[in-house]
Amino acid sequence: MISSRLWPKMVSCTAAVNGFLRYTGQLSLLLGVVVRAALTPPFNAYRFWAQAWRTGPGSFLIVALVALFVGMIIALQLAYIMIKLSAEIYIPNIIAVSLARELAPVLTALIVAGRVGAGITAEIGSMVVTEQIDALRAFAVDPVRYLVVPRFLSLALMLPVLTIFAVLVGIFGGFLVCHFKLAISAHMYWTMVISSLAVKDIVTGLAKTVFFGMIIAAVGCLEGFNVKGGADGVGQATTMSVVRSFVLILMFDCLFTFIFYFLFNA
Amino acid sequence: MIEIIDLYKTFNKVHVLNGLNLHVRAGETKVVIGRSGAGKSVLLKSIVGIIQPEGGCIRIGGVDVTKASAAEVNRARRHIGLVFQNGALFDSFDVGENVGFVLDEFTALTEAEKRARVAHTLSLVGLSGIEDMMPSQLSGGMRKRISLARVLCMQPEIILYDEPTSEVDPVTADAIQKLIIGVRDRLKVTSIVVTHDMNTAYKVADSIAMFYHGQVIADGTPDEIRSSRHPVVRQFINGEAEGPITDDESLKFGHVK
Repeated sequence: MISSRLWPKMVSCTAAVNGFLRYTGQLSLLLGVVVRAALTPPFNAYRFWAQAWRTGPGSFLIVALVALFVGMIIALQLAYIMIKLSAEIYIPNIIAVSLARELAPVLTALIVAGRVGAGITAEIGSMVVTEQIDALRAFAVDPVRYLVVPRFLSLALMLPVLTIFAVLVGIFGGFLVCHFKLAISAHMYWTMVISSLAVKDIVTGLAKTVFFGMIIAAVGCLEGFNVKGGADGVGQATTMSVVRSFVLILMFDCLFTFIFYFLFNA
Repeated sequence: MIEIIDLYKTFNKVHVLNGLNLHVRAGETKVVIGRSGAGKSVLLKSIVGIIQPEGGCIRIGGVDVTKASAAEVNRARRHIGLVFQNGALFDSFDVGENVGFVLDEFTALTEAEKRARVAHTLSLVGLSGIEDMMPSQLSGGMRKRISLARVLCMQPEIILYDEPTSEVDPVTADAIQKLIIGVRDRLKVTSIVVTHDMNTAYKVADSIAMFYHGQVIADGTPDEIRSSRHPVVRQFINGEAEGPITDDESLKFGHVK
């Protein structure tokens, strides 16, 4: 017999699972519609480039700042333990591999989710509230093709570019610490970095970011289209967009890490 | 030209449209009046396909748009313009881009031809030379007129107006009323005008239909509506706080009179 204290918890747990499944179902449906729209004419290069410009160059500075500090922090944290082991010479290797495989893709995705994904939700949400989406439909313009496809493609394309940039800046941040604090020569540092990076490290890191870009675009647009009410609804949707993007990015990162681990190490 | 037959739409178990029937002749301006929530805007959005009705049919030029394919509905939409209550202008575009939106999307006109068409359409609504202004810089009345210009740019056969004179001063309201009449006379379009404002209704209507409980309870010329003996119509057109409409709501919501 289920106790009266356990029953409400089971009900709320079932509702949460149900809600999660419904949400992922909505996301999958949107992704399906977007992919179909993206692959069928007419294509509009102008809208794509406008979004790509906002996503890519618009995010360079914040991505560079975060990557630089992360690179420096990893170097300092590693120095703390590696000096005790007299293994500080391996710090460049660890910085390069950890940035290329994991930190740069995930951190860049999280930054872009907060900056661009939230912006997408707020923009589309405001358009819903002010009937601009209805106006598009009234003019026989498909809102998915007009609004979602350019954002989806631009994020899928620009996130890998930003990630490459983040890897380079992060490695440079590590160099600053290694060179000026740990007295590792520039030649030694860059030789260790280049020798430690394999093609699969770079490919697996970048492959994830294409998918992260799709997640950010799909979540941002879906939350925007689901806005109800006025400014309050837009605010709530923007918050939910960031939270859900973060959770999904980390969840899928974990999944990809498992897949790549078994793919390359089994 | 437009036939609405036995149309049903429900929101949260409330029958907003409850077997609604309405006929609008080609070239006619039909004004739809009724309380807020009577389903007037839902009707307009159903006609352009933004809202999907649960039953009934909407025939435009003989084609039932509720049962047509997506491509047929899109073709029909390009002949129907909806002027939204608050304008629904695209706030990331300037006025020129808003008015020329349809030209950008569906025509192969050159930039010069588009600019000329936009300028001409803006002159029709009495707002020449404001192509570079942003929607946030416009007054409520200007937004409504730009919204009409955006619709006129697509040269529609049918124009649907959602509360065209709400939230504007009486002078602007008169200008908008004259615009609606001018558009009908010059372009011979069929129009449905949704409004609460009886002054607008009497001025622009060829015929007036009153919605109540999701159905048309009166349909006739402005003079016929003005002289109607139907108690609900009388209370509404005279703007009286006491009468069958408010009695009905007292029963429904349990108000103490």
